[in-house]
Amino acid sequence: MKRNIVEVTGLKKRYKDFEAVKGIDLLVEEGEIFGFLGPNGAGKSTTINMLSTITNPTGGTAKINGYDNVKEKNKVRQSIGLIFQESTLDEKLTANENLMLHCKFYRVPKDKREDRIREVLQIVDLEDKRSNIVETFSGGMKRRLEIARGLLHYPRVLFLDEPTVGLDPQTRNHIWEYILKLKEKAGITIFLTTHYMDEAEICDRVAVIDHGELIALNTPDHLKNDVGGDIIEISTSDNKNAKRKIEEMYQLTVSENSEGKLSFQVNEGSAFLVDFVKKTDIPIQTVNLRRPTLNDVFLHLTGREIREEMVSQRDLMKRSMRGPH
Amino acid sequence: MEGIYAIWQRDVIKFFRDKARLVGSFAMPFMFLILFGSGMSGALSSMIGGNAAGPLAAFDFVEFMFPGIIGLTVFNTAIFSALSVVQDKEFGYMREILVSPMSRVTIAIGKVLGGSTVAVIQGLMMLLFVPFIGVSITFLMVLKLIPVMFLVAFAISSIGLLIASSLKTSQGFQMVVQILIFPMLFLSGAMFPLNGMPAWMDVIVKINPLTYSVDMFKKIILQPEQMAPALREAMGLNLSIFDHVITFSQEILVVLAVSVVFVILATIKFSRAEG
Repeated sequence: MKRNIVEVTGLKKRYKDFEAVKGIDLLVEEGEIFGFLGPNGAGKSTTINMLSTITNPTGGTAKINGYDNVKEKNKVRQSIGLIFQESTLDEKLTANENLMLHCKFYRVPKDKREDRIREVLQIVDLEDKRSNIVETFSGGMKRRLEIARGLLHYPRVLFLDEPTVGLDPQTRNHIWEYILKLKEKAGITIFLTTHYMDEAEICDRVAVIDHGELIALNTPDHLKNDVGGDIIEISTSDNKNAKRKIEEMYQLTVSENSEGKLSFQVNEGSAFLVDFVKKTDIPIQTVNLRRPTLNDVFLHLTGREIREEMVSQRDLMKRSMRGPH
Repeated sequence: MEGIYAIWQRDVIKFFRDKARLVGSFAMPFMFLILFGSGMSGALSSMIGGNAAGPLAAFDFVEFMFPGIIGLTVFNTAIFSALSVVQDKEFGYMREILVSPMSRVTIAIGKVLGGSTVAVIQGLMMLLFVPFIGVSITFLMVLKLIPVMFLVAFAISSIGLLIASSLKTSQGFQMVVQILIFPMLFLSGAMFPLNGMPAWMDVIVKINPLTYSVDMFKKIILQPEQMAPALREAMGLNLSIFDHVITFSQEILVVLAVSVVFVILATIKFSRAEG
């Protein structure tokens, strides 16, 4: 049994007239990739801020690496690395200067600094950019440098808040390669938030928060099974009639999606499908059987889809306003 | 300790890297010294009667202004150095600093020391004007100037940090500082001799820490003890409170006290604001 590196019990945050986090409990094992999902305003950022000692909770406790987040702030800070949504690099300085300052802030021993800087730059493939001014970096390079910097003091837990928001798909994939490399190499625990459901699939376990409460916490596979079996999508030449017939025959709820396909959930999808195609006289055009995705899980749990496009657009704007100065 | 050094180092690196700021920092003193100083010198001389023969003939307005210009430069640089605190909040770097295990006191002291150092360097750069304005500056004077500049810069940087910790935007900071800067500068004796002012104004002059700062620069550079008493009086070099002429060491104590008070206030404010 591995030890729990993050221990949260009854964590609460109340602002004047609004309870942002209503008492959450969670344990994260050392070496895990832990995904923290939730719609905007669900209490995600507030929780991350409490875990990373930026805000104090109004109730409950959080411990990281065995240290209390309120009473032992500096020890917690020494144990964590943080990569925020917005860049926190000094763009007027070189990559090396940014890293060197970080070493000093975190009291990395002098004789180890050179090796560590080389090591982290190698992880994110930025060795050759070491003496360049950060201002000249692309968005993806800045992100990578930030990840490298977050690793310099060998944190036990790395918090990544939307690590790939606003990056193009190729860069996103690269960032993920680095994150997975990290997990393998350093055995570091990764605690991340993301709006991209395909990214959440990579996590060992996923917690879903909504209205300040944890509404699910399990492995992606378990969560998907909880949705209720497999999802069958069919298109027919007469959707209205087909919908009525299926609902009568199997006592199921059938919904029609925006692409004009009927979809419904069944247990044992492949067996059902054989039986269904044999028996039915519905004029079926296409049939698709698929496993539920985390998107379905999210929809199932919160009744809302994560609107990734909208969010990333807004974050993009936010970031471009913060751009180089 | 290393945290203080790191915060300090960042400000110093960025100062030397910003060439536009380096060049631009000469613009204001240059305009004051050459345009205002030279332009006004005739008028001011005749006003205090320096056109006639006698001890007042030695009055030279540009020379008079030079210590004030050093004061102005140190003051400006030191107070605006705190702008970086607000900018760091705006551009995100402050989060990198604040989530590190450094104490808030370390960060505040590092920032004040960084601002002070940059202000001393800027102040020393004003000595490049010396050959053009006929002031004679000895090496010994420079040696005396450096610690005095540093002390003044430390006091003013602390005031700057106190303001910066209370504000969230750089526009807000700039506005507050602009409102503060002009009365402090004009009522410090940096621009003109402070003679025969209305009583209420005299009170402001005496509570203005910049008055003592500028007077220290004057005492070092103009050497009033070697002047004719009438000239010294005309140049406003007999700074006194309740008929007591203030000595150089008393001025040091005043600025030192201001430094201590404001660095404590600024550190407390910064720690509270940034939790």
